Amino acid sequence: MATDLRISNISKIYPGCIANDNVTLQFKSGKIYALLGENGAGKSTLVKILSGVISPDNGEVFLNEKNLKLSSPLDAKKNKIGMVFQHFNLFETLSVFENLSIDATEDNKSLRVRINEIFKKYNFSIDLDVPVLNLSAGQKQKVEIIRCLLRSPKVLIMDEPTSVLTEQETEELFISLKKFCDEGILIIYITHKLKEVLSLCDEVAVMRKGKVVSVSQTQNEKVETLANKMVGQKLAKIKKKINISKNKDEIFKVKHLNFYSDDPFETNLVNLNFSVKKGECLGIAGISGNGQNELFQILSGEIITPDTSIIFRNKEIAKLNPKQRREYLMAFSPEDRISQAAVPELKIYENVALNNFKSSNFFEKGLVNERKIKEHSKKILSDFSVNTDNVELKSQFLSGGNLQKLILGRELITAPELLICYNPTWGLDVGAINYIHETLIKINDREKSTILISTDTEELLKLSDRIAVIYKGKLSKIMPSEEVTPEKLGVLMGGGSID
Amino acid sequence: MIKIEKRNDVPMALYFFTPFIAIILTILGGGIIFYILGFNPIEALKFYFITPISNLYGLSELLLKATPLCLIAIGLSFCFKSNNWNIGAEGQLTFGAIVGGGVALLFYNQEGFYILPLVILAGAIGGMIFALIPAILKTYFNTNEILVSLMLVYVSKLLLDYLVVGPWSNPEGFNFPETRQFSDSSRMPLLFEGLRIHAGIFLALAAVMLSWFILYKTYLGFQIKVSGLSLKTAKYAGFKGKTMILVVFMISGACAGLAGVGEITGPIGQLHRMISPDYGFTAIIVAFLGRLNPFGIIFASLVVALTYLGAETAQIFLQIPKYTGQVFQGMILFFLLASDYLLFFKVKILNLKKNELRH
Repeated sequence: MATDLRISNISKIYPGCIANDNVTLQFKSGKIYALLGENGAGKSTLVKILSGVISPDNGEVFLNEKNLKLSSPLDAKKNKIGMVFQHFNLFETLSVFENLSIDATEDNKSLRVRINEIFKKYNFSIDLDVPVLNLSAGQKQKVEIIRCLLRSPKVLIMDEPTSVLTEQETEELFISLKKFCDEGILIIYITHKLKEVLSLCDEVAVMRKGKVVSVSQTQNEKVETLANKMVGQKLAKIKKKINISKNKDEIFKVKHLNFYSDDPFETNLVNLNFSVKKGECLGIAGISGNGQNELFQILSGEIITPDTSIIFRNKEIAKLNPKQRREYLMAFSPEDRISQAAVPELKIYENVALNNFKSSNFFEKGLVNERKIKEHSKKILSDFSVNTDNVELKSQFLSGGNLQKLILGRELITAPELLICYNPTWGLDVGAINYIHETLIKINDREKSTILISTDTEELLKLSDRIAVIYKGKLSKIMPSEEVTPEKLGVLMGGGSID
Repeated sequence: MIKIEKRNDVPMALYFFTPFIAIILTILGGGIIFYILGFNPIEALKFYFITPISNLYGLSELLLKATPLCLIAIGLSFCFKSNNWNIGAEGQLTFGAIVGGGVALLFYNQEGFYILPLVILAGAIGGMIFALIPAILKTYFNTNEILVSLMLVYVSKLLLDYLVVGPWSNPEGFNFPETRQFSDSSRMPLLFEGLRIHAGIFLALAAVMLSWFILYKTYLGFQIKVSGLSLKTAKYAGFKGKTMILVVFMISGACAGLAGVGEITGPIGQLHRMISPDYGFTAIIVAFLGRLNPFGIIFASLVVALTYLGAETAQIFLQIPKYTGQVFQGMILFFLLASDYLLFFKVKILNLKKNELRH
């Protein structure tokens, strides 16, 4: 039976922000729909309304012309609306089967039979009796999908499903989704990745600032047209520069980097060796949780490992702490903007003072030189076009993009010889991402070096001169980025090997 | 269903106002307790909060009790602001008193202007050394400073016990568990004839000023603030975490040691078992009631000192045990934590239909 989902005049207003402004959309089974938008465009709000997590202030949802009252997630389940969230809702220590049987209404035997039927039908293979924590992200996602399929859903909503997947897993997911679609399940695919929209979806609705700005057939769209609709302005396309730095000096050299941890949630690093040349961007790809955190902290000096040699500008710095490394003109931009790179409760100028290098004179003879810090902060705010000039503002009131600009500005004001950044554009919108990318390219243009640890392959391919992949704490060989394709990266990120 | 959400922006004014709400609620709560016990609540509260400070002697006693509370709380604010949970100030106070008292006893039959400064310095150093024990164990052996600092309280109290009944007991004291009286040169000068308030109050005021300066105007203060808000950030910024832990414990211990030495050279004048009615523990409440702010702590120490006095007055006039003072101190902390919770989080009550509740 065909399914018809209609969202009619939905509005949701939060204090100081209209999350959904009179949204009207229509979906029919047999097609895959993309819901595209920047962070904060209102996609998540709409999805939460459809799944009953929040109630709209205004408007109605119709499923096959029946007006749905979605006041809790249970209502959504009852009405055969299934959701797979970006973050998995699974019990890690329970087995796959136990996770699936938690809210099942049938006995275990018939449940197993039904699960196996689904496996056969869609070509899934997961061991039902292993604990979920042993599964890869892609497998976990499959468990979530199976949980939805067991309820024979009419609508399946996927929220940013590929953010944790490898290229191969993404492809597999797309094949499955297309099959579901053929079976008559209505699929709504939420993303901000333009290429996925083009390769997977039939129709795309673009949201901006709470409103639906366009609904169109994907075959009539290109990456550029969609991006323009999403951002609402012509994007200056960043050109990847070609940086031939074969004969340049090695400015940074890491030897025998080993890290062993007793903490099961940390990843051990095994004998990493690499170097960075002057003016070069070394990209380190990998799916999160493969040792990037530990690597970043060792490079920044937050963790000191014995027997490691780190040579920077001909000096051994392996035993220095982050502050001392900064004095040698290194700079660091960690992944966690909100609770590591900056403190939300501190004012902007106080956050700037965190990068207290000697020549800044922020603290003369141990005393705070507030005037100097504020002057300096004002300069960062204007140089890096942060959308405020109030240095007394607490940084919690900055959006992610502006906070990241502030952090980069703070780190770059020393004109460092090497910037190490980890997921610098994580969770940012396209405008901010472009700005950050331009900034990173400018650094290389000025003959300064960068190490870019990132889980975003597109970003790595765009910015890096050479790329290596980290997988389970081991580093692949370092490849010139011209030789690297997304597929190659995907294989390496998933633990495979190439050539 | 009840849902609890974090509030994003808490107004500063409200943040400093909630301690007053906590105090008002404590007084109301106290009134209810008195009523249940069969007293006229208004009258009982009057005995508790007004009678004790209705004369000059009472005011002097209030300042006398507020002095150690303020000193200790100032020290503790350094620890608490930087996420170091030193709850052993009582032990640092006791050890400071032992070391300071030991020096005073050395000079028991001598006079000289230099004796009191020596005694005070010894007390501060004693407290500092004692606070260094949990700090060093924390930085180099990863122990939990809450447990270590708390357990050391009993160590120092037992050591004091041993000293006053054993080697340091007064040879002419008929085996009472106390030492000799200190000489006049080891005593804090009194500020007014006939009142017990002594020069120790200036130490407390100096500590307030100095701590304000350190916390808000120096690099050390900045590091303490950042570490308290986010240890991850402190590490990333490259602050010397270990050194800072040692420094804040030393400051805190020195303040507690000063408080101890102030008591024995002030109102007490010798060492015996009961040199402190748990000032070191009560000061934790003072520190939080004062919002870890130096000037807030002055105010908070006066309020909490009043609960000590009120309890004594109530014992005399109403025959209620003076331990009701601790009930009031407990209530202040309780109401403060409760109002803080409501300040930082909002509670939403969601309506669920009956059929949904069944699931």
